[in-house]
Amino acid sequence: MRLNGVHIEDTFAEAFPMLGTRLVVTADTPAWVQAAVVSMTGFATSVIACGCEAAMERALPPGETPDARPGAAVLLFAMSKAELAKQVARRVGQCVMTCPGTACYAGLRDGPSIPLGNALRYFGDGWQIAKRIGGRRYWRIPVMDGEFLCEAATAAVEGVGGGNFIILAADRRAGLAAAQAAVLAIRAVPGAILPFPGGVVRSGSKIGGKYKGMIASTNTAFCPTLRTAVPASLVPEGVESILELVIDGVSEAAVAAAMRAGIAAVADLGAAGGVVSVTAGNYGGKLGRHQFRLHEVMA
Amino acid sequence: MSGAVLTTRDSSGPPIDMTGVLPERLAEGGREALAGLMLLRGRERHRLDTLFTLEDGGPTGALVLRPGGAVLDGVGTGMTAGDIRVEGDCGACAGSGMRGGALTVEGNCGAFAAAEMAGGSLRVAGDAGNFLGAPLAGGTRGMSGGSVVVAGDAGDRVGERMRRGLIAVHGRVGSLCGARMIAGTIVVGAGCGPDAGQAMRRGSILLSRAPEAIPSGFSDGGMNDWLFLELMRKELIDGGAWPSGFPTAGTRARRLIGDRSAGGIGEMLILSEA
Repeated sequence: MRLNGVHIEDTFAEAFPMLGTRLVVTADTPAWVQAAVVSMTGFATSVIACGCEAAMERALPPGETPDARPGAAVLLFAMSKAELAKQVARRVGQCVMTCPGTACYAGLRDGPSIPLGNALRYFGDGWQIAKRIGGRRYWRIPVMDGEFLCEAATAAVEGVGGGNFIILAADRRAGLAAAQAAVLAIRAVPGAILPFPGGVVRSGSKIGGKYKGMIASTNTAFCPTLRTAVPASLVPEGVESILELVIDGVSEAAVAAAMRAGIAAVADLGAAGGVVSVTAGNYGGKLGRHQFRLHEVMA
Repeated sequence: MSGAVLTTRDSSGPPIDMTGVLPERLAEGGREALAGLMLLRGRERHRLDTLFTLEDGGPTGALVLRPGGAVLDGVGTGMTAGDIRVEGDCGACAGSGMRGGALTVEGNCGAFAAAEMAGGSLRVAGDAGNFLGAPLAGGTRGMSGGSVVVAGDAGDRVGERMRRGLIAVHGRVGSLCGARMIAGTIVVGAGCGPDAGQAMRRGSILLSRAPEAIPSGFSDGGMNDWLFLELMRKELIDGGAWPSGFPTAGTRARRLIGDRSAGGIGEMLILSEA
């Protein structure tokens, strides 16, 4: 398949099930929302070493938040309910509760319950107050600037982690421009996030490695500098830079929509923009049960 | 299936105990099941259809009660589902022990309305008597769920020993509002009598103005922003339970914490001082 001169490889992105949740963080100003969210989603790029993958889904205007203040929706994904609960409690406790003026609400209603305020209430040292409003329970935890309002629990949803596509570009500048265009497009898709820095991964990985104990190591097949040294190299001649976009979503449909939006944005730049081809990371079916075939996604 | 309209045949005489006259019974057995119910009037037991005329009418599956001048006690007692509308006044214990459904009183209701209520909603267009949402005589726990909205005034001991749920009184309440309250929320639109919150352990009493004297077991927590008020206001405005005298914007209020003499950390929030 060719889109605007860009070759779309006939392959699939291999993804795996993850448990995810959505949180809504609000504060007095968008800047304080951003401060809380950046902190909460920091070091949450890959479950390989971070415990969870998280990013802001979208900013929320005051009209869309429970307390009519500026806010943001954040998605967090982990490999199990227990790990998700641990990460939610730690990150909300250390990064949202600590941030001036914030409040935190559940962004999902249906699904297994994950403690939110229920995990943090004891910080109130006995002065915390539960309040049921509109059938939902909140904890009011006294803090130094007043009160931290936090919904008691959120819900988990079985989502998809590791949706991806890979941009092969003539040079680093072209690759970065294409990746940034894709990031902008994907951030407009509801239910999906890009957990890596700026939404882009430059150190894509393969499963295992030469050294004992390595869960993952550099994806040698896509390292341009190893093109002539690695027999299984997948780097065509004329490609100097390769970037990957990794997508987590609350559903298969959300990931597919995000991939479609991202690849379309890359293809819009076209061969004239230095994009040679788009492919995807698959691991021969060893990684997960979800497969997103690029040609089907773009059909 | 249409609803049923019950009109009192004889408005003189002692109160009629309406225990068991519920929409559930209409749904299960139809009008016949209702007609055959035995009700106490004073010391005597009567078939329901000797005390009331029964007609089709009202919303599907709902009961409409027209008491005339008769006193109907225990309307909606133990109700779990459906609707009851009382076109007039209720006697004592309206909605007591209610677990679900909706009870609407277009007039006033007597003492012990919503006593030991666990769910559902009670709306009173007029005034309510003493012990609104409190324990029944001999009981140890008051209201444990559901919502009560009184458009007029209410008597003494509103929400006594209340554990969960919401009581909103648009008018004034008497003494000992929220006394020995365990949790839950009481909203009072037009001031309360003495000793509000006495021995309360937890819970919130939202007031339009400060009590005439701050109860001795309460300490003044000063002014602050209480974000949950924004959520509560949205919810209560939708349910018609946000008194007209309360501010419609902002989250600032003065907070009194107590009753410390009982080890309590409940609160009285004075909204008008924002």
